[in-house]
Amino acid sequence: MIPLNWYLGLSAIVFSIGLYGFMSHKSGIRMLMCVELMLNSANINLVAFSSYNDDMTGQVFALFSIALAAAEAAVGFAILMSIYRMRDMINVDKLNILRW
Amino acid sequence: MAMENLAFLIPLLPALAFVLTFFLGKKLPSGGAIIPIVAIAISCVISLAITVGLLQNPENVVTQSVHWFAILNLGILIDPLAAVMLSMVTFVSLLIHIYAVGYMSHDPAKPRYFAETALFTAAMLGLILSDNILQLFICWELVGLSSYLLIGFWFHKPGAASAAKKAFLTTRIGDVMFLAGIVLLFSDIFTVYNGILPEGVYVLQFSEMFHLIPDLVAINSTILGMEVSHLTLVTLLFFGGAVGKSGQFPLHVWLPDAMEGPTTVSALIHAATMVTAGVYLVARTFPMFLAAPHSLIIVAIVGAFTALFAATMGIVMNDLKRVLAYSTVSQLGYMVLGLGLGAVVGAEAVGISMFHLINHAFFKALLFLCAGSVIHAVGTHDMRQLGGVGKVMPITFATMTAAALALAGFGIPGTSLGFSGFLSKDPIIESAYLYATETGSWMPYLFAITAAFLTSLYIFRLIFMTFTGKPRTDYGGHESPSSMTVPLAILAVFAVVFGALTRTSFYHFIEENFAHMDIEALAELGGYHLAHHGHEPLLVLWMPLIVAVAGLVIAYLIYNRRVVDMSSIVSRNNPVYKLLYNRYYQHQIFVEIFSIKIIYEGLALAGFYSDKMLDWLVNGTSTLLIEAGDSLRKFQTGVIQHYAAAVVAGVGLLVVLIKLVMEVF
Repeated sequence: MIPLNWYLGLSAIVFSIGLYGFMSHKSGIRMLMCVELMLNSANINLVAFSSYNDDMTGQVFALFSIALAAAEAAVGFAILMSIYRMRDMINVDKLNILRW
Repeated sequence: MAMENLAFLIPLLPALAFVLTFFLGKKLPSGGAIIPIVAIAISCVISLAITVGLLQNPENVVTQSVHWFAILNLGILIDPLAAVMLSMVTFVSLLIHIYAVGYMSHDPAKPRYFAETALFTAAMLGLILSDNILQLFICWELVGLSSYLLIGFWFHKPGAASAAKKAFLTTRIGDVMFLAGIVLLFSDIFTVYNGILPEGVYVLQFSEMFHLIPDLVAINSTILGMEVSHLTLVTLLFFGGAVGKSGQFPLHVWLPDAMEGPTTVSALIHAATMVTAGVYLVARTFPMFLAAPHSLIIVAIVGAFTALFAATMGIVMNDLKRVLAYSTVSQLGYMVLGLGLGAVVGAEAVGISMFHLINHAFFKALLFLCAGSVIHAVGTHDMRQLGGVGKVMPITFATMTAAALALAGFGIPGTSLGFSGFLSKDPIIESAYLYATETGSWMPYLFAITAAFLTSLYIFRLIFMTFTGKPRTDYGGHESPSSMTVPLAILAVFAVVFGALTRTSFYHFIEENFAHMDIEALAELGGYHLAHHGHEPLLVLWMPLIVAVAGLVIAYLIYNRRVVDMSSIVSRNNPVYKLLYNRYYQHQIFVEIFSIKIIYEGLALAGFYSDKMLDWLVNGTSTLLIEAGDSLRKFQTGVIQHYAAAVVAGVGLLVVLIKLVMEVF
């Protein structure tokens, strides 16, 4: 059996790649994808702990999390689409409209 | 006697009349004047009955008391002192009310007028029969309120409104002193009882206060390096209240202005109510004054100074009522001087002062009502425009002359023959002489005798300028209706004969007030050496009459025969005349220097600095908040990645923090 640490290590690597991507990329689409990566790293953790502890809760939670991620992606894409229509670009550096 | 059980009605009936007249007056003829007249007439009958009862049996003092709170009570005390005051106030007030029916007949606001005068009378009566100092103070304030309402009766005239304000504010200075005196007295009594007041003892009752005098004298405190007995402080604070109400220097400034109200109100204020309250307060608490070192001497000096000071201004006034107003201030000075002379003559001082008060009430009410009669008929009160009014108004002329003779003090020394003013002023001047020979201080005597001369001069100046000679302007005029002349005639009879009829019995009657008190012991506590009237030199006895006649002759020569051309003296260039005519610039000193320069500008300066400070506080707060907001705003870049970085950093910090906390505990 593969030790738990390996899963945790994988999860940490995936999370770090996601975080790095989120912080460094300027394209909205890529940032959304990176968010998916970070969520999936969390899912890896959930599933790994679940199977290690013989407890189904973690896997159910992971399913919820995937469903949520899908919804988030849908909303995120919708927002990006409308931004693109307004501004003809999705470069988040230029998008400081959250600021008053 | 059944009448004594009705004593509580004396102030209550006029108070009730106030309410009834106020609400029902409009529906009744002549503004509902009948209600206060009947009410005060009943009060007058009860007062007179009680006074007669007391005269027959002086032990029969009326005391009734309703307990109020644990240590205070609401009570009635009618001893000889209160009885004579009650009789005088109800009687004079009744005559003034009857007179006012004619005098105020053209005024649309009659119900308000009669309601307020009824309240005025009720407050004064309540003040007189109070058996404790707190109740007296409450009525004292009510008197002040009524005077404010009545002086400002024609409130649409700016002069009346400001005179009312002036009267209210000036007497308030005295009222605050009076209240401070009560508070100090109460705390001292508390000290005497070691903080535990005995059950059922009402410490602010006069009898209780007098009972505690020896203990109160013993309480001292040091003020400006001087050892001062607390009793001296208390009495001087009480006297401060009297100075305000009774128009003594320097708080007399409101009295001459108080004539902005109807003349009947002036008569009421100057004769029966209000101004006598201060004299009555000192007379009422006289045993305390007698036991307080220096208090009576200060009372005497203030009184003597006021008597002369006001009289000097009386001789230059051209307004009929203003002359009378300064005359009142001057005569009140005599009364206060009379009380202050208690330092030498003991309890007799109350008798001579009260005798003058009662006589003064009659002739001063008469003087004012005569002046009102002239004003009512002629429509002006500037003496320079009058002259020869005596031919048109013979009854007014005759009664006013009687009053003037009474005020100036004509009579034969050494006998009971004379106008009432003579018989009451003479003892004061004689006692002032005794004071001078005993203490070596001649100031009160000299001031009193000079004031007597000036009194005669200014009152006959008024008579000659107004009633004799030829009319100076075309004023028409007619004799007043009988509702006005009948009270004049009644008052004139009293002004002429009251003094002669009651002289000896009056002093005995008032002395009954102090029958159960050891006056000599009290005077020793106060450090006074009492003396008795010996045989004064003949010149001293005749002096008041000599100066009165001199005043009459000089007034006759100048204002009737015109041997001296007054226009050369009465000019703006004569510095003495200017000083007197401008009333020693008191108004300027009080209003422009004291009020405006010191208080107003002082407040403005204080206001300027407090504004600065408040501005600094308010502006500082807002600047701080704006700056804080500005610097916080910098964090809000609007760039998502910055927020994400902040979240990551925050989570990281949280993890580290939790780790650290776990390590420590």
